[in-house]
Amino acid sequence: MTPGALLSLAAISLVAGLVSGLWFSRTWLAFTLAGAATGLGAALSVLLGATDWEWRSAFSLGGEFVHLRLDGVSAMFLALLCVVGGAGAVYAREYWSEEHYPASAPRGRCWWSALMLSMGLVLTISNGLHFLIAWELFAVSAFFLIRLDRQRPEVRAAGWLYLAASHAGTVCLFAFFSLLAARTGSWELGPMREQTALAPLFWIALAGFGVKAGVFPLHVWLPSAHANAPSHVSAIMSGVAIKMGVYGIVRFSGWLPVPHAAGWVVTGLGATSALLGIAFAFAQNDFKRLLAYCSVENVGIILIGVGAALLAVTHGDATWGRLALAGALLHVWNHGAFKALLFFGAGSVLHATGTREMSKLGGLWRTMPWTTGLFALGSIAVSGLPPLNGLVSEWLVYLGLFDAAVSGGPAAWAAMPAAIMLAMAGALAMASFAKAGAMIFLGAPRTQVAAHAHECGMGMRAPMLTLAGLCVVIGLAPILFWPVVARAVGSWRPAWVTMEAPVPLVTLGSVHAGLAVLVSAAAAWLWRMAHVNGLRRGLTWDCGYATPSARMQYTSASFGGIVSGWFRWVLQPERKMRRPRGHFPAEAIRLERVPETVLERILGPVSAVVIQASSSVRRLQHGRLQFYILYVVAGLIALGLLVLLGGAP
Amino acid sequence: MTLILDLILRLAVWLLLAPLLPGIINKVKAWVACRRGPPVLQLYYDLAKLWRKGVVLSTLASPGFIAGPAVAWVALTGAAMLMPLGPAGSALSFRGDVLLLIYLLALARFCTAWAAMETGSAFEGMGAAREVSYAVLAEAAIIAAVLSLSVQTGSVSLVTMLSPSAGAGAVLLAAGLFTVLLAENCRVPFDDPNTHLELTMIHEVMVLDHSGPPLAAILHGASVKLLLFAVLLVQAVLPMGELPPLGVAGALAAGVLVVTVGVGLVESLLARLAFRRVPLLLTTAFLLCLFALLVAWKGGAK
Repeated sequence: MTPGALLSLAAISLVAGLVSGLWFSRTWLAFTLAGAATGLGAALSVLLGATDWEWRSAFSLGGEFVHLRLDGVSAMFLALLCVVGGAGAVYAREYWSEEHYPASAPRGRCWWSALMLSMGLVLTISNGLHFLIAWELFAVSAFFLIRLDRQRPEVRAAGWLYLAASHAGTVCLFAFFSLLAARTGSWELGPMREQTALAPLFWIALAGFGVKAGVFPLHVWLPSAHANAPSHVSAIMSGVAIKMGVYGIVRFSGWLPVPHAAGWVVTGLGATSALLGIAFAFAQNDFKRLLAYCSVENVGIILIGVGAALLAVTHGDATWGRLALAGALLHVWNHGAFKALLFFGAGSVLHATGTREMSKLGGLWRTMPWTTGLFALGSIAVSGLPPLNGLVSEWLVYLGLFDAAVSGGPAAWAAMPAAIMLAMAGALAMASFAKAGAMIFLGAPRTQVAAHAHECGMGMRAPMLTLAGLCVVIGLAPILFWPVVARAVGSWRPAWVTMEAPVPLVTLGSVHAGLAVLVSAAAAWLWRMAHVNGLRRGLTWDCGYATPSARMQYTSASFGGIVSGWFRWVLQPERKMRRPRGHFPAEAIRLERVPETVLERILGPVSAVVIQASSSVRRLQHGRLQFYILYVVAGLIALGLLVLLGGAP
Repeated sequence: MTLILDLILRLAVWLLLAPLLPGIINKVKAWVACRRGPPVLQLYYDLAKLWRKGVVLSTLASPGFIAGPAVAWVALTGAAMLMPLGPAGSALSFRGDVLLLIYLLALARFCTAWAAMETGSAFEGMGAAREVSYAVLAEAAIIAAVLSLSVQTGSVSLVTMLSPSAGAGAVLLAAGLFTVLLAENCRVPFDDPNTHLELTMIHEVMVLDHSGPPLAAILHGASVKLLLFAVLLVQAVLPMGELPPLGVAGALAAGVLVVTVGVGLVESLLARLAFRRVPLLLTTAFLLCLFALLVAWKGGAK
C-alpha cells in the first residue's frame, strides 16, 4: 500500500477512535492501535523507501488547497508519535481506567485520539495556514489531557500555565507564517533555501517552537504540566509533544535559509538547556518533576546536534554536520522511547503509592520488581550509558562536535564548550537517575504507603516492555537505524545524504552486545559464587548502630545537596532550618525546596508589574454612566478637531 | 587464533598486574613513614581470601547489590581493553572509542552508587552522593583533556591519539590528569582509603556493606581503574612515539611506576582536603586541562 492509503487509513481509524472513545474503551483501543500501526507503516515506507510522499488536493479549506507531504524528517517524528501513542493508549486503559475515573476516562480517550490526530496533521501539513490550525488543535487537545484530573487545583493551574505559554509561542508562529506568506506570496510551504531574504524569519520561528520544545528559559510551563498530568499524558507530552517544537526548528531550518548566527545561538541554547535543565532535575524531590526537567536537558542535547549542523551549513563542512544532525535526530527517537518508559514507570509507582515525593518512598523493589527493573533500564538509557540507546545518539553528537573541534575552523569555538557542557550534563544525568532510582526503589520503605505498594498489571507492563525492547534494540544494533536517520538527514540537506554509515556503528553495536552478554554472565557468576560460599542476611552495617529506622536513610534533598550548592546562583533554593538547641533538643528541621526559579523569580515579578500597570488603567472604568458619556463626547470633539484642523493623512 | 591469544594476554596483563599498584603505593607510604608496611602483594592475598569467603547481605538489599559490582567490574575491564598498551595497541580500536571508554567508567560509577544505595544506610548514601557529584567536575576535566589530545593529533581514536609525542601542553595535561587520577581513584587529598571514619570517605564508605566475592570484584575493579588512569596519563604525556617497541614498553612501565610512587608520595605528604575544598581542586584540574586544550589548539601544534 502507498503511504497515502496508509495515512488515510490511520486518519480514519483515529477519527473512529475519537468517536467511539466516549463509550467503548475496547473499540477505542482497537482503533487507536490500528491508527498507530498504519501510521507507523506509512512513516516506515517513506523512511525505508527512496521517495517522499506528496499529495495536493483540489479540496480547499479557508481558501487554501490542502497540501500534505511526508518526507524523511516528518516521517521520523511520525514514527515516534505512532509508537508512543500506541503504547500510551494500551497503558491508559489500565492506568486511567473507567472504574477509577468514571468521569474523566472517556474524555481522556477522546482527547488522546484527538492529540494523536492533530500531531499527525502538524507533521504532514505543508501549508502555513493549515499548519497553524493543526498546531492550535494539538495545543488544545494537550491542554484538555493535562487537566484530565481537574478537581485538583494544582492540575488546573498547570493547565492554564501550559495554555498561556503555548499561546505565547503560537503568537510567534502566527507572526512567522504570516510574514513568510507575505514575503513569498503564498501559504505553501516547502524548500526555499535560495531566497536569502527570508533568513531573519528563523528567529521568530525559533522563539515560537522553542516554547513548545521547552528550551531553557522558555521551559516555564513544562515541569508543572508534566508533573501534574496523568502519567500516560506526561509520557506523550515529554516523548512526542515537545518534539513537535524540535520538529518545527528542524523543519524550517532545513527549508528556509538560516541567518549566519543561527548555529551559534542554537548550539548555545542547547548547551544551556542541557546543563541547567539537568541541574534543576537533580535538585527536585518530586520524581515526575525530575523527569520533566530531564526532558529540558534532552531537548538541549538534541539542539546541540541541530546547532552544530547549522554551523556546518554556515561553514560548509558536511562531514561533521551530518554526524551531529544524525545524532540529534536519533536522540529524538531515543528520548521518546526511554522517557515514555520512565514516565510509565513513574505512573506505575504513583498508581501503587499515590505520592510523587521521593522522600516518602523507598524499598519498592520488593513489591514492584518489574517496575524497578524497567525503571533501572530506562535510567541507564537516559544517562547515556552503554550498552543502551542513549549512548548511541550522544556518541554521534559527540563525534560531530569532536570533528568540528579537530577541523579547527571558527565552529570549534562553539563545539568545544558544547562538548564539555554535554559531558557535565551526562554526568549530572547519571547522578539524577542514580538518585531517583535509589530513592524510589531501594533501601527501606520510608512510609506505610511505600511498604504496601503493589505491582502494576499486564496492561501497564506490556507497553513498558515494548519501549524497553526498543531501547535495547537501538543500543545493540544501531546500524539497523542508520539508513532511517540518513534518510532524514537527506531530507534536511539533500547534499548531505550518505547511506554508508561514516562511523563504526557496527563495532559500537557489537561492543554493546558483547558488554551485555559479559555483564549478565558476570552477574550470574558472582551471584552463584555468593551462594556457593554461603550467603547470610544481616542488618545493614550502620557504623555499628543496631536499630536503624527508615527515616534515617539519606533523602533526595541530601543526595542532591552538593550539586544544588554549586548551582545555587540559578536554582535559588529556599531553606527552612531550625537547629537543635539546648541539652535536650526538642525538634530540629531542615527543609529545602527548589522553586520554579524562572517562573517565580523572573516571570512572576514581571507579570506583577504588568498587572499593576494595567490596574491603574482600569480606574477609567468605574461604572458611572455620566463619565462614560463624557468620554464619548470628549472623543467626538477630539475627532472633530482633528478633521477641522486638516489632520487628514 | 592470534586475536584470541592477544585478548587473553592482554587480559592477563591488566587483571594480574593491576593489584600491584595499591601494594606499591602502600609500600611507598610505609617507607616514607619509616614503617615496614604490608607486603607489595597484599591485595592479591586479600582478593584470594575474599573470593573464598561467604557473603553477608543486608536485609534490605535486592539482587542488584551483587549485580552492581559485577557490572562495574566488567565495565572497568572493558574500558581497559579499549586502552592501548604502548606498542601492542588496544584490543579493539575504532573511531570514537575514547568516548565509549569514558562512558564505561560512568557505567561502573552508576552501578557502584546503585549498589551502595541498596543498603539504605545514610553513610553509604553520603558516599554515593559525593561520588556522583564530584564526578561531574572530573568528567568535564577528562573530556577537556581528551579534546586537547584529539585536537593535537586530529583523531578521535585512542591509539592514534596517544601514540605521537606529547604536545606543547604536556605539563598542563600531566598536572590536570594526575589530579583527576587522584580524585577518580579516591586517593588523598580527595579521599583517604585508610580512614576509619565513615563520614569523611567517598569510595570506601560506598562499599562498607560488601563482603566476600562482590567485595573482591570491587577492590579488583578499583585497582584496574587506577592502572587505567596511570596508563592514560603516561601515554598522554610521555613522548614515546619514536622509541622502538621494547623501549616504549619499558618507558610505559617505568612511567606507571613513577605515577604510582607519586600517588604514594602525595598520600604521605599531603593531608586530606576539607570537603568544601574538593570542588576547588577539581575545578583547578579542569582549568589545567582546558589550558592544555587551548595550547593544543592555538599553540601552533599543527
